[in-house]
Amino acid sequence: MKYLIILILFCISVGVGYFFSLKYLKRKRFWGALINLADKLSLEINFSRERLKVLFSSFDGNTKKYLLGIDEGFVDFLDKKCELTQENIFKNASVLKPEEKDFVLLFLKTLGRSDVENQTREIQNYCIRFGEIKAQCDTEQKKYGSLSVKLGVVVGLFIAIIMI
Amino acid sequence: MLEKILPDNFYKILSEKVNMKAVNEIRLRADKPVIVNVCGKMFYLCENGVTSNVRQSLYASKIIIEDVIFRASECSIYSVNEQIKKGFIVTDEAVRIGISGNIVEENGRIKTMTNFVGCNIRVPHQVKNCCLSAYPYIVSQSQVENTLVISPPACGKTTFLRDFVFQLSERNLPFNVLLLDERGELDCGINSKYTDKIAFSSKKVGFENGIRALAPDIIVTDELGQEEDMQAILYAASCGIKLLASTHADSMETFMKKPLFQEIIKQKVFKRYVLLSKRNGPGTLEGVYNENFARILREGV
Repeated sequence: MKYLIILILFCISVGVGYFFSLKYLKRKRFWGALINLADKLSLEINFSRERLKVLFSSFDGNTKKYLLGIDEGFVDFLDKKCELTQENIFKNASVLKPEEKDFVLLFLKTLGRSDVENQTREIQNYCIRFGEIKAQCDTEQKKYGSLSVKLGVVVGLFIAIIMI
Repeated sequence: MLEKILPDNFYKILSEKVNMKAVNEIRLRADKPVIVNVCGKMFYLCENGVTSNVRQSLYASKIIIEDVIFRASECSIYSVNEQIKKGFIVTDEAVRIGISGNIVEENGRIKTMTNFVGCNIRVPHQVKNCCLSAYPYIVSQSQVENTLVISPPACGKTTFLRDFVFQLSERNLPFNVLLLDERGELDCGINSKYTDKIAFSSKKVGFENGIRALAPDIIVTDELGQEEDMQAILYAASCGIKLLASTHADSMETFMKKPLFQEIIKQKVFKRYVLLSKRNGPGTLEGVYNENFARILREGV
């Protein structure tokens, strides 16, 4: 019975560590997905000149799920169902920092406002900045993400040793 | 469609307190009263619908106008920039929005329009049977005569053309009709079995490609007004294709003096001229004329 409890506590401890590391993974995946989306927008706007709603709706790659619902919020804005505000767009994006939210919102606000040439140039400029943030997230994930998992393991082992 | 374009409060008033079937135009100008054209008459939009008292009118702002244009482009200005260069946007549901603002030119070519300060939302209507009075003069013994519909702006030329195409289909006249829809507003829910469509192309390109690729019996197109349109018309007529087109003029006399049409008049390309006005509301048929400009049908008196 004692060993079972030790095992459970160890798992919980590792689980907590993994839970904290997920935040960094989500952030990294989000910026990666946003870069993919921006690349697609830039390409399609230049080539097909298809409307934003179609482009957002057709972005159904594997990375779509990592966008934390901002694409759906933006489509709601395009459908005039809501305003383009942080509350409406970032409902499920608690992992983003406030300044990051501001930046993404600014990006969304620039979409569809200019001609093809300027629009693609603008998106590419944003892509560069998104890439920089993603690189930061990669570092953070390597640094703090794996650290929290390791800490979880260490704490679990510590509890186990104490209990034994 | 207007629901997605107009500000919520304007749309609510229009849909609840105004008969939308009678609305022809909505004009928004920055910091000016909103004007609604109902059955050819101008009114101001107010909280209770429309009024002729300017003091009660609602005002549009520059932000509202910019938002209307942004929404009309389905939030994708880049997708309609070619239209904006020409001064209008046409939505998927054939609502045409004329735009006023600053034209940006680069190397002598229009790059885009900015600083929107006004827009004119033209609400399309499908008025069934509106061409019936003139129809027997255009179609006889299953033959369609080359016809030009003439009227000032907003008098129902496009509506007439739409109904004519619909009537051909209703009567099962098996003509292959090509709609050459330069501005995307001609095909507004025409339920025709024999109609092909080329949209957003110049008349020159549309006529050449359409005739070569689709072998139409009749070409229907809107608003002739440039030299290259005349060349396209002469080319189509020489190919033996029947034509139904429209142009701007307020009377037959004015039309006959237009330098652009002299060659077409001389060659008697059009066998019928239909003159419309808005004397009794848009689409008032003033008369049908033959190629010698003799009136063969007198209406609207």
